[in-house]
Amino acid sequence: MTEVVARRGFHGPSNDDAIEAIHNELDGLWDDASFVPDMDRMTFATAVIEAAANIVQHALPVAEKPVEIDVDISVRPTRLVARVSAFNAREPFANDMQASMPDEDAESGRGLALIEALVTTVTFERQDGTNTWILTRNT
Amino acid sequence: MQMQFSYEVKDSYAEVKSVGRLNMVAAPKLREVVNEVVASGSSRVVVNLAETDFMDSSGLGALIGCLKAARQAGGDLRIAGVQPQVKMVLELTNMDRVLTAYPSAEEAFGDD
Repeated sequence: MTEVVARRGFHGPSNDDAIEAIHNELDGLWDDASFVPDMDRMTFATAVIEAAANIVQHALPVAEKPVEIDVDISVRPTRLVARVSAFNAREPFANDMQASMPDEDAESGRGLALIEALVTTVTFERQDGTNTWILTRNT
Repeated sequence: MQMQFSYEVKDSYAEVKSVGRLNMVAAPKLREVVNEVVASGSSRVVVNLAETDFMDSSGLGALIGCLKAARQAGGDLRIAGVQPQVKMVLELTNMDRVLTAYPSAEEAFGDD
């Protein structure tokens, strides 16, 4: 088990407020782990916000319970790891998993391609009505 | 931190100032402000991003929508004061060729 140097998290309803709260947790994480270089902070924070925004914009509830978002972000000695989950969510549509850049004049559809460009690995898991994106970036 | 937009109509262009995070929460507000500016007759628009330290793909999508609105009205949209994170997102999405970045709002329409 790799040592965790700093860790932050968020759990709440999947909405605009969650995005702002996750931004604030990321800012707090860098305060706790000031050795992380600016370039790694910038790229990783962008990927985490893209994944969270994808859930807020696209995740649909599997039943009556609304979708909840859960983010667990940790700094390890040579790696940044984020688990970004949608609870009570349906499996994403193939369209929402599109990972290539769209045409120049498209106004949406760049999120996942951007995530792939920003991090070292992207893994998707689905278990018991929970979709989880695991993002890692080697530092 | 709430995203804030304000605008000022100058002699040959309108400057829209964007302060804070240009994310999925702020993106619709930027579209509203630029549409209002274009509808009021200023189709040459500079979005000043000097105080925007974060932009995601939703913010980028809003800028592209605003660019199209300005061009449809016979003008153009340019960006100025781009900070490192915004520059990174523009480059990784290859949109730096479409959304031309100028050092300052004054210089954005300085050549024409």
